[in-house]
Amino acid sequence: MISKTLALSVLNQALATGADAVELFLEDTVSESISLDNGKVETVGSKQTYGAGLRLMKGLQSVYGFTSDLSKKSLLNLASSLSASFEGTRLISVSSFKANKVKVINKITDHLLDVPAAEKIPFLKDLYEAARSVDERIVRVTDSFACDFTKTVVFYADSEIGSIIKNTEERGRISMMALAAENGKIETARESPGAYDGWSFFTKKIDAKSLAVKTAETAIKFLNAKECPSGRYPVVIGNGWGGVIFHEACGHSLEATATAKKMSVFADSIGKQIASPIVSAYDDGTIPNMWGSNNVDSEGRATQKNQLIKDGVCVGFLVDRFNARRLKMTPNGVSRRESYRYEPTSRMSNTYIAPGKDKAEDIIKDTKLGIYVTNFGGGSVNPPTGEFNFTATEAYIIRDGKIEEPVRGCTLIGSGKEVLMSIDRVADDLDFGVGQCGSVSGSVPVTVGQPTIRISEITVGGQGGKLE
Amino acid sequence: MNTKEFFALAKERGISEAQFQSSSSKSLSVTIYEGEVDNYQVDNTHSIIACGIYNGKFGSARSEKTTKDAFPFLVDGIIKSASLNEKVEAVSLFAGSEKYHKKNVLSKSLATTPVEKKIGLARYIEKRIREHGENLTQIEVTYSESEEQSEFCNSTGLKLRERGNYFVISASLGAIDGETVRTSYELAFGNELETFDPDEFVARVIKGVLSKIGASPCETGSYPTVLKNSVFSRLLRYFIGAMSSEEIQKKSSYLEGRLGDLVASRKLTVEERPLDKNIFFSFFDDEGVAKTNKTLIKRGRLQTYLYNRETAKKDGVSSTGNGSWAGSKMGISSSSIVVKPGKRPFAEMIAPIETGVYITELEGLGTGMNSRSGNFSCQAQGFLIKNGKLDRPLTLITISGNLISLLKDIVEIDSETELLIQGVSSPNVLIKKMPIGGI
Repeated sequence: MISKTLALSVLNQALATGADAVELFLEDTVSESISLDNGKVETVGSKQTYGAGLRLMKGLQSVYGFTSDLSKKSLLNLASSLSASFEGTRLISVSSFKANKVKVINKITDHLLDVPAAEKIPFLKDLYEAARSVDERIVRVTDSFACDFTKTVVFYADSEIGSIIKNTEERGRISMMALAAENGKIETARESPGAYDGWSFFTKKIDAKSLAVKTAETAIKFLNAKECPSGRYPVVIGNGWGGVIFHEACGHSLEATATAKKMSVFADSIGKQIASPIVSAYDDGTIPNMWGSNNVDSEGRATQKNQLIKDGVCVGFLVDRFNARRLKMTPNGVSRRESYRYEPTSRMSNTYIAPGKDKAEDIIKDTKLGIYVTNFGGGSVNPPTGEFNFTATEAYIIRDGKIEEPVRGCTLIGSGKEVLMSIDRVADDLDFGVGQCGSVSGSVPVTVGQPTIRISEITVGGQGGKLE
Repeated sequence: MNTKEFFALAKERGISEAQFQSSSSKSLSVTIYEGEVDNYQVDNTHSIIACGIYNGKFGSARSEKTTKDAFPFLVDGIIKSASLNEKVEAVSLFAGSEKYHKKNVLSKSLATTPVEKKIGLARYIEKRIREHGENLTQIEVTYSESEEQSEFCNSTGLKLRERGNYFVISASLGAIDGETVRTSYELAFGNELETFDPDEFVARVIKGVLSKIGASPCETGSYPTVLKNSVFSRLLRYFIGAMSSEEIQKKSSYLEGRLGDLVASRKLTVEERPLDKNIFFSFFDDEGVAKTNKTLIKRGRLQTYLYNRETAKKDGVSSTGNGSWAGSKMGISSSSIVVKPGKRPFAEMIAPIETGVYITELEGLGTGMNSRSGNFSCQAQGFLIKNGKLDRPLTLITISGNLISLLKDIVEIDSETELLIQGVSSPNVLIKKMPIGGI
């Protein structure tokens, strides 16, 4: 995108006032999206995201700037204006770059952008037909396929010899929404499978048609569902997308973004029991072709499998290069950003609770009165207090060990510290779900995962009064 | 950027009508933590949305490249998009409204105030908060500003341009409460720094966080509920989203067939006022249609749906100036919203409430709201109301309801109106009863 000579000039300009490290991130992303509304192609969009982000670090200070103008003048101006925020003399002059080898963990042969849009459209039409034909009350189905191909180059220097790390990323995602309507009532259901993978993932590895049918069936099922009760109850959380509870209740609070400045309930927790002893958890950016995986992180460091909790004891944080300074820890390949418009920081990738020994059916059987949640809309957390919430889009009442009527409008809230200690059952059926996670460095693709678990008691919010 | 080459290339490739919109922004953000500049950020970005009509169909593409290298990508994108979409024939591009209500909202004083003075302001606020006492922790004060410009031109010869700037000062902090921390986030915004009172802001920040000390859930139940203006405005935005004529035409809105009906309490009057002179001012939409001030809900009755040119043509009406890009299609959105205030102040409004709840913050509304059905359920914070006064702080509670019944259940709207960062000017609102989940 720019020459090495220009990169060298930019880095040296940036280092003129005493910064001890500098990083230039270049991005060129091409995105394509195809959207259908009730089986008709509504839009076919093309987008090019293009620009550079420049970060300077000096001790515990960081400055960041970005521009979509990659001309020499613009980049040198950016370097000058950022370096002007430090007062000092040059510590480092960069003389050359060494290219770092990037190990490709996400191998793809059938690239998404190589498949013509005209080939993707019939595939999406089939999904529409599958969903629409489920029931007459399905009055609207939207489905889309979005994919992007990103080329990045990171120039980094904290000494005379800098490094260059080149990477490519490629992801695709289907989004389906079925809307059911009857007598003025409206209910929707969604499914959105995605991967860092090629076109055959969508056409062969997963059964997208069955998922379309399930989406429509869920919308119908919940159209006349009762409102979810509110109060404190035992809650069984289904496998896969259920992992969003760990993502919110614990994951964010273990990111160095929060722990470095002690803005997390788990800031001083390494070596301490923070979860029930039956809980072990990981963040693993290296799982081949998974939605949240990457060859390298946004700083150009190889991704890795990081254990966060071992038998209930906190054993690690997610640490990026800058926050590693305050924490005096080693970065572990987790620095991420949405695009060049964001300064990178520690973020989750594929985060999951490891499988336990229980059977999901036994957990249900052993629950006298409670709620069973199997699908989620997402959630959020306030790391300093650990208070989190997440929305269940598919929930059922459990009575006498049996799954009974569906309920809608269900929110679970709690504090991370309490909830992790309240996990009293962990099954052996680990599965994953994909989503987008929004935080300080923008919206990044993440996978959440878990086996079926039970929380002995948690606050449930809904309009349905007390559970009986 | 010289757009002539874009229009020439578009024409050469068979695009009969073309439109080019560019926006650029220059921003600055400085965070002070423990007396030092902890984070400093500057940016200078551009983006282009181009669209056009090819073989009678509409297509669009986007790019952030600032050079003419972007033009072939944009033209190819328009052709691909137009060739594959299956919508009925496109509405031709817009030649212009009769009158545009242009105003100059760019603050020269904000643009010319030295950066050092702005950083000094953030330092002063952080220091004042820190000086307040040791039980305050994790104090971060951020000054940010942005100057934005958007330019619009199309092959009919219509050319429009608007510029604006604004600042946002925010403070996030915690207050130690035994073994836990209570957090708070406050902000102030505008485009005249001279009118910003840092001491008043500091007092508001400190009062905000200290008022949360000792917070706990209330008992699960149904309570008369006061929604703070910022909470009500977030919910109202979803309701206004349901006025989109596109959603109505696609049978996906609970407001279908409700034009002229009583859809809310008679206490509620809502206007869209994009032409008010504030940082949300905007005088043309993404199709080049002049924006106007208009009433959306009058004494509870729905007055209009929101239209772009395509949906307006379908219903045989005129665009309401609400055309707005939604990804690569022309969607619909609303501008600055004003809720008509009532007569009594907050204290008088809550005086008759024996036991109630005052909701000041919502968390997780983005996922907790089903915008199509209007059902919502999310995490909340606030205060218990006892014997007509604010009692103890509440945390870890849930609030749920349905937007249609919520607006119908408005009992009173107070007189304490405030322009909020959501682009809504709203007072606080008393709802008859709402389900609250707690212990």
